Amino acid sequence: MASPAKIAQQFARQLFSVSVIDGVVSAERVVGVLEFVEKHKVANPVMVLKAYHRLIAIELAKSIALVEHAGAINQTTLSAIEAAMSRKYGRAVKATAQANASLLAGMRVHVGDDIYESSVAGQLAALAASV
Amino acid sequence: MSTVLEQIEQQIAKLSNKAVKKNTGNIRTVADGVAKIDGLSDVMYNEMVQFPGGAIGIALNLEEDEVGCVILGDVSLLKEGDEVTTTGRLLSVPVGKALLGRTVDALGQPVDGKGPIDSKETYPVEKIAPGIIVRKSVSQPLFTGIMAIDSMIPIGRGQRELIIGDRGTGKTTITIDTIINQAKINKVGLASGDKNFRPVYSIYVAIGQKNSNIVRTISALEAAGALEFTVIVAAPAGDNPANQYIAPYSGAAIGEWFMENGMDALIVYDDLSKHAVAYRQISLILKRPSGREAYPGDVFYLHSRLLERAARLDGKGSLTALPIVETLAGDVSAYIPTNIISITDGQIFLETDLFNQGIRPAVSVGLSVSRVGSAAQIKATKQVGGKLKGELAQFRELAAFAQFGSDLDAKTKAQLDRGSRIVELFKQPAFAPLPIELQVAVLFAMQKGFFDPVEIKKIGEASASLKSFFTTRKEPLLTEVRTKAALDKDLEAKLLAACEEWKSSYTA
Repeated sequence: MASPAKIAQQFARQLFSVSVIDGVVSAERVVGVLEFVEKHKVANPVMVLKAYHRLIAIELAKSIALVEHAGAINQTTLSAIEAAMSRKYGRAVKATAQANASLLAGMRVHVGDDIYESSVAGQLAALAASV
Repeated sequence: MSTVLEQIEQQIAKLSNKAVKKNTGNIRTVADGVAKIDGLSDVMYNEMVQFPGGAIGIALNLEEDEVGCVILGDVSLLKEGDEVTTTGRLLSVPVGKALLGRTVDALGQPVDGKGPIDSKETYPVEKIAPGIIVRKSVSQPLFTGIMAIDSMIPIGRGQRELIIGDRGTGKTTITIDTIINQAKINKVGLASGDKNFRPVYSIYVAIGQKNSNIVRTISALEAAGALEFTVIVAAPAGDNPANQYIAPYSGAAIGEWFMENGMDALIVYDDLSKHAVAYRQISLILKRPSGREAYPGDVFYLHSRLLERAARLDGKGSLTALPIVETLAGDVSAYIPTNIISITDGQIFLETDLFNQGIRPAVSVGLSVSRVGSAAQIKATKQVGGKLKGELAQFRELAAFAQFGSDLDAKTKAQLDRGSRIVELFKQPAFAPLPIELQVAVLFAMQKGFFDPVEIKKIGEASASLKSFFTTRKEPLLTEVRTKAALDKDLEAKLLAACEEWKSSYTA
């Protein structure tokens, strides 16, 4: 017999699959899922919701380009990044900026579990690794 | 100073200004040398992943929303949430002649304190074994220097011969003897200046062994002058199971490089029972379904893909494999032994009873076999020892029956007497391999009845005297046997005359 964690994981996956329409997380469906879990006696609800949260967070991260930057960044650059990433991933990607002085210069863009490194800190780290 | 700065500037310039794409994940759990990772959506099966702090891992389980990785290196610094990146590369180890004489870990990094290894090339640890077309059948001998093996269970270059037996029966000793013998042959061959001579380089892979045992092996090889032709790959018992799992494949990669570059190599896996245990541990932690004796379903493939890499390639070199398997209470029908017996081209079975009776090497003639080696045996050995295996097997059977009664006919008594002499003759001390020409001379003397007048207890002494006689006084004759590799009438006459000469001088 499968463990409770495994059952919760499987159930969370089912909930996740009904929350996505055309590859995009639907806010309405998520609300519906939460209401369903609240109304019905779901086994291990905390475990299910944690697993569901994780799956939704992973999916949402694919539609957000987190742009870490050192120094100023203008809206034109952000729009250009949004357009490039949307083209690359075939879905609407929204860019959000976050200042990070430790990059020294340049920027680092996170989309899902991909990272596009174009910072001085990243280049120095690569240099250190290659020596 | 400015040159140094220029070098750094050039290196910086090399690093393009373009954005570098990395695929990352985060450690979800880490336990017993295995990490479960969120993310890594682009990771490939068996791909090397980079953990913080320099540790690397191999992606073994690609699941729907997580990746299971074995970690090679120090796991103590890793924690939940740490970032892991893909490398786009398969695990590779340094290869080449620079590794000879060195002891390396499962990743090919030196652990002998002799400084860095100047190796220019790397080779993938996991590689598909050579196919049918590129292979050539085994036809060149690989002499172990052990008379019982070279005459009855011969091994050829490119063969896989399993060495199996209980603990403490001399399995490792046989392989060390073989490595020492290759070094001796290499030295003679290289000194002769023969352009057609092909040296055999050895790789000894220690899996799950005590560090003290590995040190003893290295010392034995060093004392015999064999270390300069040998690479030691050490994944001792204290290493994490991932290192023990990967070590034989690293050794195979090092050996394969010799084979692919037109050289001959010998690889010893000591031992594959512990390798299977390490893999079982990893599989259980990765929550893979377990089967018989809790081993995962692919434990056969684990060893078959490793041993299939031993081959003789057409127009290139060869890789001969001597895997070792430890049995419990002599049970060869256990899971791992039967798997490996079916993969290999024969096995040398060592018996505890024989070992305790002082018959060393304790080779069981009845259960040992070499399926392809006879094609590689030189004609001279076939001529002098062709019937030995049958005679010895018959002797063992008769000896068992003879215990029940003393009333034996003359023929049986003669057979028992001859058998006892062969057994005594095959006794050989550890780390003292015999050159093939000397083996031929001893077996020739035995075949012609020169040991018949000698008391059975003194056969060893007489054999030592004969060997010493040949090495000190008949060196040209031995060289002739070695170069001709077959006994013609002239050579037989010379050997007979030499044996007569020894007989006249020998007093028991």
